[in-house]
Amino acid sequence: MKIAMLVPGLAPHDAVSNDVLHMTAALRGDGHEVALFALNARGVDETVHAPRDLEAWLCSPSDIVIYHFCTGWGFALDVLRRTQARRIVRYHNITPPEFFTGWSDGYVAACAEGRAQLDAFAALECELYLGDSPFNIEDFTSRGVAPGRCAVLAPFHEVEQLQTIAPDARRIPSATPLLLMVGRLSPNKGYIDLVDALAASVANAPPDAHLLMIGKLDANLAAYGDAVQSRIAARGLESRVTWLQDANGAELRAAYERADALVLLSRHEGFCVPLIEAMALGTPVVALASSAMPWTIGDAGLVWESVEPHLIAATIARLRSDGRLRESLRARGRERYARAFAPAVLGRELHTIMQRFVQ
Amino acid sequence: MSPTPNDYLERIKAEIRAEADAARIRDPLPRIDPAPRATVTCDDGIDRKRLDYAIGELTGADYRAFIDQAFRALLKRAPDDAGSEAQARLLAAGAPKAEILGNLRWSREGRHVGARVRGLLPRYVLAKLVRVPVLGYFAEWGLALAGLPMLLRHQRAADTANAARFNAATDAQREHGRRIDELHDALSGLRDDFSALRDELRDQLHRALLRLDALETRAARIEQRCDASANGQIELRHHVHAINHWVVSLQDSLAGLEDAAAADRAGADAFAAAMTDDATEARARAARHAEWSAALVARLAAPRVVLDLGSGDGIWLSALIARNAAASGIEANPVLAESARQRGLPVVVDDPQAALARCADASLDGLTLGVDVLDAKACVAMLHEARRALQPGGCLLLRVEAVPYRLDDGAALDAARWSARLAAAGLAVSGVLDAGSACAVLARRAAP
Repeated sequence: MKIAMLVPGLAPHDAVSNDVLHMTAALRGDGHEVALFALNARGVDETVHAPRDLEAWLCSPSDIVIYHFCTGWGFALDVLRRTQARRIVRYHNITPPEFFTGWSDGYVAACAEGRAQLDAFAALECELYLGDSPFNIEDFTSRGVAPGRCAVLAPFHEVEQLQTIAPDARRIPSATPLLLMVGRLSPNKGYIDLVDALAASVANAPPDAHLLMIGKLDANLAAYGDAVQSRIAARGLESRVTWLQDANGAELRAAYERADALVLLSRHEGFCVPLIEAMALGTPVVALASSAMPWTIGDAGLVWESVEPHLIAATIARLRSDGRLRESLRARGRERYARAFAPAVLGRELHTIMQRFVQ
Repeated sequence: MSPTPNDYLERIKAEIRAEADAARIRDPLPRIDPAPRATVTCDDGIDRKRLDYAIGELTGADYRAFIDQAFRALLKRAPDDAGSEAQARLLAAGAPKAEILGNLRWSREGRHVGARVRGLLPRYVLAKLVRVPVLGYFAEWGLALAGLPMLLRHQRAADTANAARFNAATDAQREHGRRIDELHDALSGLRDDFSALRDELRDQLHRALLRLDALETRAARIEQRCDASANGQIELRHHVHAINHWVVSLQDSLAGLEDAAAADRAGADAFAAAMTDDATEARARAARHAEWSAALVARLAAPRVVLDLGSGDGIWLSALIARNAAASGIEANPVLAESARQRGLPVVVDDPQAALARCADASLDGLTLGVDVLDAKACVAMLHEARRALQPGGCLLLRVEAVPYRLDDGAALDAARWSARLAAAGLAVSGVLDAGSACAVLARRAAP
């Protein structure tokens, strides 16, 4: 059975790209012939074909197209409309455009276009809609896709590789408590709430709280980056915030090891890979109960319905002072990762999901 | 029931909430207004900030334009294909525009957007009311009758509008026809130009092909000449090799000849050396030559003219001359003859048989020769010539001795045989001078 993996682009250390590449490897391990099709690919040690060659490559109605839906792409919609092969929509979610209103018209338009295609994809009645999380799949079930055509599979990742890298802590602040946030600077990720939480932590004892932000800022979101910097300055926290846009794997590993908690106050996540990175590496997790994050975390972290700064600050303070709580969360995190998100687990789940096509 | 792990976390969270509440009161954070965001200027034509419309603003357009405008106003996005198609089908089925607007406004997405369209609700309710079975039928009739005057006015206005549009369409069609004629004329001109250009190109192509054929022919000829030249070179190379081989062979032959000549010279030198170097044999020979020459001269009358045939290096001749004989020698070997002449001996290079034949009758008092001179075939003839050349009473001395430069076998040194031959030639054997390994046979021509 031939499987065509279609994605707009592939790049190193990108969450969607990691899912594509590791899923490809898992499917090949099951004996399927898999080929990658993308508009552009860089830093990928794999043959990647042009998307226009996809339909010619498929030769049987029993073949499968797996489209990784993470942005609006008319070509993919057309292909799935035309192809005689079986279709799987692997949905990574698209941030609602409202989050970018006032920050970037381009992001608004792109996200609107992407989300506008949800109806079209739902109307195709593809053989399977495969979401990273139940939250993602709701976007299709709310549009009338039958639950029998839906499934949930957490994304493949590179946490295992992160666990094997030797940590490099030279640029990691040694202050405690150290709040860690991992993720690109984007309005939906709650960076301004995070800065307020840091301010509350600093106001409370102990006063040495520090925030480490690891994530890139897209030039198109410069306005949001300015807003975050302005809030840092307004709170007088310039010396208590470290922002690494170019952290490598060794530094990321060191950040997780040194941090007192991963604090994720994002208002929209399709899965949130940093959560499982923290759980696997034993970093306690504090998060907002939004979108897919409660499902990802399970009972392995402290999840709040509110981002009220004092609430987050009190949580950090309790983690610093309560060793039993810290160890409990570390153990829960490792156990949840091993049980639900380890590569072997994901591989078995993928194999089970694909049985419906093999049979 | 024992507390579960989740109970533990819930208890912790409750404690944390309490701590947060206390901290909020104790150390409230100063309020900071959010950063102003940029004014939304949509480059997609959608005014996302506007949420208030009058129904007339949204019903002016028709069909697709109306649907597009409705989506952008009420849902703040461009219409998707499926949604647009669904609303278009409703319009085609006769649904009023208010129903389309209401469908969008009060859809889940429309409620989320929350736009307000003044005057839409009652119209939308009526549109939905007429779909109710029975009641809707009567309501629709009632509405139709109540609106009949307005419908008539709309009809007349529509007729006028349609007539105006028809006139405009007719004018536009006439203008289009004129434009089409202009374009048709222009197209004909272009077609003619194209045909002329095509013909010219065709001619040029034909000429180019002819030239190409000529070039190909010349190239083929040149190629043939090159092949012939190459073959000629190969043949020439073969000839050169053959000539080289012949030259080498010639050189080898010349070398062989040079080697043979050198061997002959070496042999002659060796012979001459053997002749002069054999001292013991030379003394013995000199002794017997002295004896024989004395015996011969004693038998000769004056002037004692003696011819010696096959003188060699002249040792026998010098013995004759020492006995005061007027002797001269004939020798065929020029090396030996020269050696004798260099010792002052009168030796002539000649063939002994030819020299004897030239001797006049009875011109010699004595004749001496060695057995090596006598050719096996011409031996008898030479002996007869010898008798002829001797005077009557003249004496012949035949030396029967081994000559180092001749190959003599035992038969040649048999004196008895020579005696018999001399007798056969008419010469009377008068004695044999025995010297051990050699001897001399004396014979006379009988006197008359």
